[in-house]
Amino acid sequence: METETETDLKESSVKPGTSVLMVEKLKVLYGNFEAVKEVSFSVFGGEIFGLLGPNGAGKTSSLNAIEGLLKPDSGQIIIAGYNTKDKALHARANMGVQLQSTSFQPELSVEEILSLYAGIYGVPLNKSEGMDLLKGINLNDAAGKRFGKLSGGQQQRFSLLIATLNNPPLVLLDEPTTGLDPQSRRQLWTRIETMRSNGHGILLTTHSMEEAEAVCDRIAIIDHGRIVDMGTPVTIIEKHRNNPEVIRASRKGRITLEDVFIGITGTAIR
Amino acid sequence: MTASIPKKSTAISALLRSDFLTQWRNRRSVVLILLVPVIILISWKSVVAKLGGPFVLATCITIGLTAIGLMGYSNALARDRDKGVFQRLRVAPIPTSYIMLSRLAVQMAMILLLTAVVFIVGYTELHISLKPLAYALGLIAAIVGGALYLGLGQMIAGLQKNAETVNATTRLVYFIFIMVGMFGEMGILGSALKQAVHWSPYGTVKTIVAAALQPDVWNMDTTMALLGTIGYSIIFSVLGIKGFKWNTK
Repeated sequence: METETETDLKESSVKPGTSVLMVEKLKVLYGNFEAVKEVSFSVFGGEIFGLLGPNGAGKTSSLNAIEGLLKPDSGQIIIAGYNTKDKALHARANMGVQLQSTSFQPELSVEEILSLYAGIYGVPLNKSEGMDLLKGINLNDAAGKRFGKLSGGQQQRFSLLIATLNNPPLVLLDEPTTGLDPQSRRQLWTRIETMRSNGHGILLTTHSMEEAEAVCDRIAIIDHGRIVDMGTPVTIIEKHRNNPEVIRASRKGRITLEDVFIGITGTAIR
Repeated sequence: MTASIPKKSTAISALLRSDFLTQWRNRRSVVLILLVPVIILISWKSVVAKLGGPFVLATCITIGLTAIGLMGYSNALARDRDKGVFQRLRVAPIPTSYIMLSRLAVQMAMILLLTAVVFIVGYTELHISLKPLAYALGLIAAIVGGALYLGLGQMIAGLQKNAETVNATTRLVYFIFIMVGMFGEMGILGSALKQAVHWSPYGTVKTIVAAALQPDVWNMDTTMALLGTIGYSIIFSVLGIKGFKWNTK
């Protein structure tokens, strides 16, 4: 079994508690449909912030706007002090991204992809340094393999390595544990927590309430394009504990974050 | 302290290295793209005396350019868009123009390779020999003509989101260009079609490449064909760039 090491995870230069992401009154429209309605939140260095919501709630649109993949209709996004409107490249340089469906050029090997992204993130990296990084995530034996030939867990570890290659203050993880087995999921949680303790601010989206409860310091629940609640998992559970919808959703004899989530956002499938 | 944006040269050289490597790994498709014009060239050995060496070379180069723009470039764009390769690159701190410029540079290298292969096979197998200036102008004309087909490939990938549809469309257009272009130009399909083909993207490129291979015969018709090629390139590229979506959603 592969063991977890964190030798490749560097300390962030941002002091814990400093805002690494500020989203203010973000609005995203698709024609007349308002997908994101004046959403505001911040992520600080040294914290894991979870953005939760059912399908179509506005989670991915918000994340795409932060990543620069779509242009917001109004509002502002500031990453490590850089406004994405006028300093888009600086903002992107300070943000590591692990996309939901990570895909790299299928013809390239792991080592070649690492070299490509080191180049486009301006990270000087020779062959042995590259191998050291791969060794840090137990992929040194897979350096010559194509990305598509790696297992799900290996792909996620490698994607996370690419996302943090230039040691960015902000790391965006879009459903990073989807499709992983429990071992790989736990390994990834450990890596994410190590990044937090190194001072990175992490914005995480997930459909797993267990994951949100286990790793997030704060969460925001988004529904119909609006943030309906924000706080630590414990405070959110406490706040909604006596909500009749939440009690009705409870299945285990105790109130969990999932019960609160269902209670707030409803049981209807989107 | 925050992370800084990378140097232009570092980012571009990393992209170029990976795009050339990707092309190298797809060398089987590169060989197929080169094979069609080479087969046509060799099979036309007996008609070189009748049609003229420059005509035969220009036809083969034009068919190769069509394959590069339609079969190679547009399908690679559609596939990488479909797989999310572009989305991953777009979240990096580089202008999106670098991503496209790097890909176009690889295609330009392919155009030069194709033209050189046709010249070499023409010389060794068909004994077609041209003046050094004609070879140099032939390479330039191939790049100008190749830009038209890259623009056409960009337009198809820009107007169609689905990779399968792009693949089907490019195959259809490629087939029409080769069959109607080649036979129409010879007058086999009638004089009206011959005239239409002459001013089509196939015909204008073929005309300028053929004229470049024999610079002494360059005339007003060739200049009009050059202007036509440039015009088509601009129209296709503008439509392709404006309509292009980086993802399939």
